[in-house]
Amino acid sequence: MASTEDKAAKQESATGWKDSFYNPRTGEVLGRTGSSWALILLFYLVFYCFLAGMFALTMWVLLLTLDDYVPKYRDRVPYPGLVIRPNSLDLSFNKSDPLKYVQYVKHLESFLQRYNDSQQDKNDDCPPGEYFLQDDTEDMSKKACLFKRGFLSLCSGLSDTNFGYSEGKPCVLLKMNRIIGLKPRGDPYINCTVKRDTPIQMQYFPSEGRIDKKYFPYYGKKAHESYVQPLVAVELLLTKDDYNKELPVECRVEGSDLRNNDERDKFLGRVTFRVTVVE
Amino acid sequence: MGLHISTIIDGLYFFQIALHAKKGCCKTYSATQNVDYHCTLFQTEHKMSIEEVCRKYQTDIVQGLTNAKAAEYLIRDGPNALTPPPTTPEWVKFCRQLFGGFSVLLWTGAILCFLAYAIQASRSARSHMFDRLSLCLQLYLGIVLTAVVVITGCFSYFQEAKSSKIMESFKNMVPQQALVIREGEKVQINAEEVVGGDLVEVKGGDRIPADIRVVSAHGCKVDNSSLTGESEPQSRSPDCTHDNPLETRNIAFFSTNCVEGTARGIVICTGDNTVMGRIATLTSGLETGKTPIAKEIEHFIHIITGVAVFLGLTFFILAIVLGYSWLEAVIFLIGIIVANVPEGLLATVTVCLTLTAKRMAKKNCLVKNLEAVETLGSTSTICSDKTGTLTQNRMTVAHMWFDNQIHEADTTEDQSGASFDKSSITWISLARVAALCNRAQFKAGQDQLPILKRDVAGDASESALLKCIELSCGSVRAMRDRNKKVAEIPFNSTNKYQLSVHETEDLNDNRYLLVMKGAPERVLECCSTILVQGKEQPLDEELKEAFQNAYMELGGLGERVLGFCHVLLPEDQYPKGFAFDTDDVNFQTKDLCFVGLMSMIDPPRAAVPDAVGKCRSAGIKVIMVTGDHPITAKAIAKGVGIISEGNETVEDIAARLNIPVSQVNPRDAKACVCHGTDLKDLSQDQMDDILRNHTEIVFARTSPQQKLIIVEGCQRLGAIVAVTGDGVNDSPALKKADIGVAMGISGSDVSKQAADMILLDDNFASIVTGVEEGRLIFDNLKKSIAYTLTSNIPEITPFLLFIIVNIPLPLGTITILCIDLGTDMVPAISLAYEAAESDIMKRQPRNPFRDKLVNERLISIAYGQIVTAGFALGGFFAYFVILAENGFLPTTLVGIRLNWDDRSCNDLEDTYGQQWTYEQRKIVEFTCHTAFFVSIVVVQWADVIICKTRRNSVFQQGMRNKILIFGLFEETALAAFLSYCPGMDVALRMYPLKPSWWFCAFPYSFLIFVYDEVRKLLIRRNPGGWVERETYY
Repeated sequence: MASTEDKAAKQESATGWKDSFYNPRTGEVLGRTGSSWALILLFYLVFYCFLAGMFALTMWVLLLTLDDYVPKYRDRVPYPGLVIRPNSLDLSFNKSDPLKYVQYVKHLESFLQRYNDSQQDKNDDCPPGEYFLQDDTEDMSKKACLFKRGFLSLCSGLSDTNFGYSEGKPCVLLKMNRIIGLKPRGDPYINCTVKRDTPIQMQYFPSEGRIDKKYFPYYGKKAHESYVQPLVAVELLLTKDDYNKELPVECRVEGSDLRNNDERDKFLGRVTFRVTVVE
Repeated sequence: MGLHISTIIDGLYFFQIALHAKKGCCKTYSATQNVDYHCTLFQTEHKMSIEEVCRKYQTDIVQGLTNAKAAEYLIRDGPNALTPPPTTPEWVKFCRQLFGGFSVLLWTGAILCFLAYAIQASRSARSHMFDRLSLCLQLYLGIVLTAVVVITGCFSYFQEAKSSKIMESFKNMVPQQALVIREGEKVQINAEEVVGGDLVEVKGGDRIPADIRVVSAHGCKVDNSSLTGESEPQSRSPDCTHDNPLETRNIAFFSTNCVEGTARGIVICTGDNTVMGRIATLTSGLETGKTPIAKEIEHFIHIITGVAVFLGLTFFILAIVLGYSWLEAVIFLIGIIVANVPEGLLATVTVCLTLTAKRMAKKNCLVKNLEAVETLGSTSTICSDKTGTLTQNRMTVAHMWFDNQIHEADTTEDQSGASFDKSSITWISLARVAALCNRAQFKAGQDQLPILKRDVAGDASESALLKCIELSCGSVRAMRDRNKKVAEIPFNSTNKYQLSVHETEDLNDNRYLLVMKGAPERVLECCSTILVQGKEQPLDEELKEAFQNAYMELGGLGERVLGFCHVLLPEDQYPKGFAFDTDDVNFQTKDLCFVGLMSMIDPPRAAVPDAVGKCRSAGIKVIMVTGDHPITAKAIAKGVGIISEGNETVEDIAARLNIPVSQVNPRDAKACVCHGTDLKDLSQDQMDDILRNHTEIVFARTSPQQKLIIVEGCQRLGAIVAVTGDGVNDSPALKKADIGVAMGISGSDVSKQAADMILLDDNFASIVTGVEEGRLIFDNLKKSIAYTLTSNIPEITPFLLFIIVNIPLPLGTITILCIDLGTDMVPAISLAYEAAESDIMKRQPRNPFRDKLVNERLISIAYGQIVTAGFALGGFFAYFVILAENGFLPTTLVGIRLNWDDRSCNDLEDTYGQQWTYEQRKIVEFTCHTAFFVSIVVVQWADVIICKTRRNSVFQQGMRNKILIFGLFEETALAAFLSYCPGMDVALRMYPLKPSWWFCAFPYSFLIFVYDEVRKLLIRRNPGGWVERETYY
């Protein structure tokens, strides 16, 4: 029985597979006649259109429930991350070869464009040391506190357009992530250390790496259009002994309730990067 | 009888033809085996004189073998037992489970995972960017995949091992004992230690320990039914009566039974060399094809594997083209493979089949091979034995004729049938004759058992009489005690009667009572009077004709008729103490008084007519194959409905119209009783013609080999054939059949080994319940697969959008495994408990070529409609809700993927201007995975309810499936557990959801429910309409 069945099956498949593409006797293409194809395709078209409509409807309902200014939930970003500029965790360059560090300089320069006086003059000079709380106005828009490039002094790129890279004393800018409604308690400041036995000298701008409370809270992109984050610049005052070595630097936000020791999130209130300066 | 045995030899050639016709199994059956077989068959011991045989085996006709010689032979020939069929080693079976089916795909996935891990690990040694946890993810996934394969493999293996263990229990039977004479002493030894040349002694009730050449016999009869299927005992004697060893009377065969008498013989063959052993070896050489369900599942695996590999490679190439690193592309490949393979499905199928097998075992169908569960459901023809399967396998008195009237006796198994008037004096006389002229007696120690269940020592008709009298008149033993037997002439074939002389009950009456029973015409010849209403009347022509009519009528019912007569011998001629000489008959055997007729039949089992009716309405053809006489076979066939009322055979039509048989158009006859001798001369076409054109067929006087021809014929016509059988010679047919059904009580070991299923109660009706279960499981497996597949495709769509639209990944690999192996399992299994939607025994059997387990409509429903409607959209909606509510609106998401997955980007801006570190946004992403997962669970609620039915509305079907309700709760509880249990964020990266996120998929869940109800409504309203043609799976 098995053999006869197999033979039949073989014969069938021999003529069968050609027929399965186009069967001239019935006019079937891929097992269906033209009208059958039309009908099933029409069905799927209508069906999917309906589904798309349904999906659009539910998405529309979703968007209706959302606030334009503040996201519904902010519990997934309770604490800000800390990031550095230039945007690389591995700074390595030859101080006498401008081609090697020009990318960092360019990056810093473009990053600081928003902090130019021409931009910041529009912002308020608010009182330091306290939160810049603003009540809801009619158009919801909020004012921002000014932060000028000049605050960064040697690292502002104004006096030294190479941000110290040409002298082997590179500047690194640190910024905390924007989080709507974040009000850090205490006096937050940035502290950087080199993870090795002999420390290196560093210079912070503004002094002591302080982040003023007046830049908090943030009211969101739409309301707080001209908001700029406060920055802290660290100039690593490297000496000859520090050249040609990989220096692991860790910076943390200290002096406040902001977390800087999360096990899993290595960028929460802290950042680790490596600096290698070649002579 | 001669016919049956000679057909064995025909059959042997037939086996070979059958074997060569089958692909792939010729190898297992070597040419040397053929030759060997024939050499042994044409053994010559039966033609030798006893002395020659003794010389050949160096044995002695009186003393037997010496112990030393016996030990030597035992070492040389091995033990006298059949070699069990070669079994696959356990580790091979285990590996088959471990590397079969989807496992290969999953192994590929796991290996790719380890590879990806190894590469990432070596890279991270150079850069410090990868934190430990995310690095471990690939390793973790690889381990999980490996565990999945191993666990499902172990699971399936143990399920299979369990069912094969049931078989083991059949093998461990009480060892047979044999009585041999060695060094002149009779010793009882284990039958396995019997060797060629041993002098053995057998008596009634023993099993023949080996093939023996009879040297002396006293009234020895053997039952060769397990070898030839012939149930009439055959006598054995030392004389060679035929050239053919199988037909000569001086050889008794291994594993046949000695029914009565004693015999002594010399063992000529032991173990596998015996005729029985040869057949068993042949059968184990026959390989059976795959079961229908195995083919279906293989077909399904091919489809899924094809899709998985195709999609996987497409995306792999697409990813490379889109500029992903090849490592990332490999990770996509793994994801797609994992998403595509329904990991839990094979385990689900195994569990469903096991559950059904268990349910069937409760109904006395023991399934050896799990897949056979379904085969029974697709059966379209059943070739059934008569004796024992359709009938009760015990002769029972069915009719009596006395007082010129036919009385019906109760033949039911539980004595619920009608009774007759027992007050007639004639009946009392008849009962007395039947009880006294009867050598059968109950075996001792059965007093508490119901009469019908007691074992009787004696031949079948006498036992029937004994039980009948015991039932209606009380203790036969007491009656015999009161009427002491004085003399007896046992039944012999020349007299065709049996008579005995007894004392009367009345102590004052010194006359002797002579009672006689035998072939009715012979008994009547001895009579001159007849008892009517207790009065002796002369036997005139009128009464003689009445007798003839009754005899004809009962004979026409296929019953075995016996006549009874008695006489009180006159005291003056035969005074007390008269010495009756039975050899040289010195007493009256003429002018007796005829009492009545009793007829016996092996009555059909009570449940059988109903079961046959069910088969008929289920479109299953029931063919009766029996070794019995055509008249008896036809009578039983009519009794159980195999030949239904109003249907006539060619012979019936001829008789009715009073024309010769040759003038009847065979097409007019629906029924057909085919004689075995005719079958021999039929060509293949004629055979097909019979099978095709008659709906009701009975094969009478057939040998087991012809059974094989019949099975082949049915299979040639495309039927899926179930065959029942109990004899050794049935085993080729059992193997050949799509599903062989052996008898648990009467079946021989070899037949049980060859069969796929064992009927524990030998009852045909059990097959029908089996068919019902088999059909139900096929339907339910469809539902189960539809359910599992629907959650399968939405697992791919996230990857699609991830790669093409560049959004963060909506559903991770771990979550996919949680669905496939966690939440989906119990609901999918619970569908196996689903009740049938309509009477599944009212529709035609499934066509294995057309009605597939997984067809394009199921795929279209599962993949095209429900999936997109519910799962994908529901899941994506939940995904968008969570991201939007956390700050990432859909507009921001498109194209964000590169930055999103960049570990060094720790100030990714959302729609509201907030900035996120990598870890922070990954937590949101994994929360999305959890929500997608929960959404799938929510939509699966609706899906499992949808899949409950294929045509009916769920409101018609009801929610009575408790396991399914449990499944719904279990699934939900598991989802909640995975989401909320502390530590899950580390273990599986699943995060707690806000309660509102559970409701995202509700509208979609509701939508698919409504959609499917409407679809089913349209199917019911427009049978055969477009909706049904396109969407009914």
